[in-house]
Amino acid sequence: MVEVMVPIGPQHPALKEPVNFRIYVEGEKIVRLDLDLSYNHRGIEKAAEERNFIRVLPLLERVCGICSHSHATVFAKGIEEIMDLEVPARAQYIRTIMAELERMHSHLLWLGVAAHEIGFNTLLMWTWRDREAVLDTLEEMSGNRVHYNMNEIGGVRLDLSEKQVAAAQQRLPLLEDRIAQYVDMVSHQETMLIRFRGVGKLSKEEILKYGTVGPTARASGVDYDVRRDDSYLVYDEVPWNVVTDSSGDVYGRTKVRIGELSESLKIVRHCIENLPEGPVRVASTPKMAPKGEILSRYEAPRGELAHFIRTNGTDKAERLDIRTPTLANWTSVAKALVNQNLADIPVIVAAIDPCLSCTSRMTVIDTGTQAQGSISWEELVRKCRARYGMGVQP
Amino acid sequence: MTALLTMEQVSGALREYGPAEQVRKNRIRVNTDPQKILSAIKAAQQFLDCDHLILISCTDDTGSFGLTYHLTGPHRTVISLAVSVPRESPQVFSVSDILPPAAIYERQIHDLFGIVFSGHPGLTRLMLNEDWPDGEYPLRKDWKPNKANSYGGAAPEGA
Repeated sequence: MVEVMVPIGPQHPALKEPVNFRIYVEGEKIVRLDLDLSYNHRGIEKAAEERNFIRVLPLLERVCGICSHSHATVFAKGIEEIMDLEVPARAQYIRTIMAELERMHSHLLWLGVAAHEIGFNTLLMWTWRDREAVLDTLEEMSGNRVHYNMNEIGGVRLDLSEKQVAAAQQRLPLLEDRIAQYVDMVSHQETMLIRFRGVGKLSKEEILKYGTVGPTARASGVDYDVRRDDSYLVYDEVPWNVVTDSSGDVYGRTKVRIGELSESLKIVRHCIENLPEGPVRVASTPKMAPKGEILSRYEAPRGELAHFIRTNGTDKAERLDIRTPTLANWTSVAKALVNQNLADIPVIVAAIDPCLSCTSRMTVIDTGTQAQGSISWEELVRKCRARYGMGVQP
Repeated sequence: MTALLTMEQVSGALREYGPAEQVRKNRIRVNTDPQKILSAIKAAQQFLDCDHLILISCTDDTGSFGLTYHLTGPHRTVISLAVSVPRESPQVFSVSDILPPAAIYERQIHDLFGIVFSGHPGLTRLMLNEDWPDGEYPLRKDWKPNKANSYGGAAPEGA
């Protein structure tokens, strides 16, 4: 049969991210594919060489809108190791709380996207509603929904007040209840079983061969998880389990992510309940880092994230090499798609939870005077309620 | 998960490739020769059970380029195999046939640093846009944008 090339993307149905696939098909079956990631290279590694350690963290948060805390934390902990700083326990607990809330919002987002890919939009609405509870908590703690900007070298920027802790604690039972429902659903829900089972299968050997990371790898029984394997923050003090599955298909990846939602919730609860007292940053952070090299690893929601950092005795990194989990996962996606149906592309691609870039920011502009500025959360809520006739917040 | 590798195990298995150095508890670095990188990785796979490539990091060391292959395995020890590639002829063997995930990392390094990986099945552009000028490698320390060139996207100001 004649091979036909079907271009998909950079604007596409599967995900709202710029990637182009050139898919070669015979009839409905995929023979092979090439991919092009070049739509969004923003030169962040180059820009990072020009900024000092204070200014580089906000930049690194913008590597990714979803894993913003991951990139800032992995960099900060690398520099702290080079500087030989002892970060206070309270700061490490707060970083862990943020990291696990980030994982929860990311996995809930993924679950919604995956549901949407199979036409199960009710689940999309449910998970994204529940995700709001996580985002609200993150926003209360940091002031932002996505770019939390909590890290600084030597600790965190903001402490948690009793009120914030209480508000977070109040949301946990609701999330616990919702996650339990997803755990139950994935075991018997007909649509999920039909569309996820046996799709995009990768064996344990293939995962290892193609260097896949994160929930995709763990769904094929490869129990790599940097949180345990190369422990950082407070993961060695908190009780939690690495979630794995043996099915190796999109169904397995769904089960692993839902399992990780429960584990993350456990970690957040433990950290909130056992938050140590004390300072949230070191008394004084040196401006310069001594000459050194470090490979800093981190388990981001999508898998192992690695920053290779070289310092040269100045206040800037001489080289920052970032390897994001999605780059590691592309090789296996190309493999998983071969011999599958063209119609399964969206769900197989979405199953690694690819993340190329995203960002979200807000500035308030007065359309009359053109004045720009920011706005407090209370003010925004008040304005929204007034605008949409929802009354005044009690 | 098995026990961490010891210095003795690593230096024993990789003795012929260069001296091993313990950077920290779970990190062991071996400096080797670019000619030996393929066999060094094979040895790490065979004798040290390394089944996962974390990344290939690339640095511009002024006179040369540094490539470090960070490998790990069930022992969760990171074995970093470092080589130095001369700047005037930046060429090194591709390891993509024995380590398939290396293929995409090598394309990235080729794109951004201009290192040629000989034997790579498709060393084509990955990160930079298609109209990026040939022979310009933005992550090299001496790279500066040339006003006469277009780097894709919007036309330069005043053009």
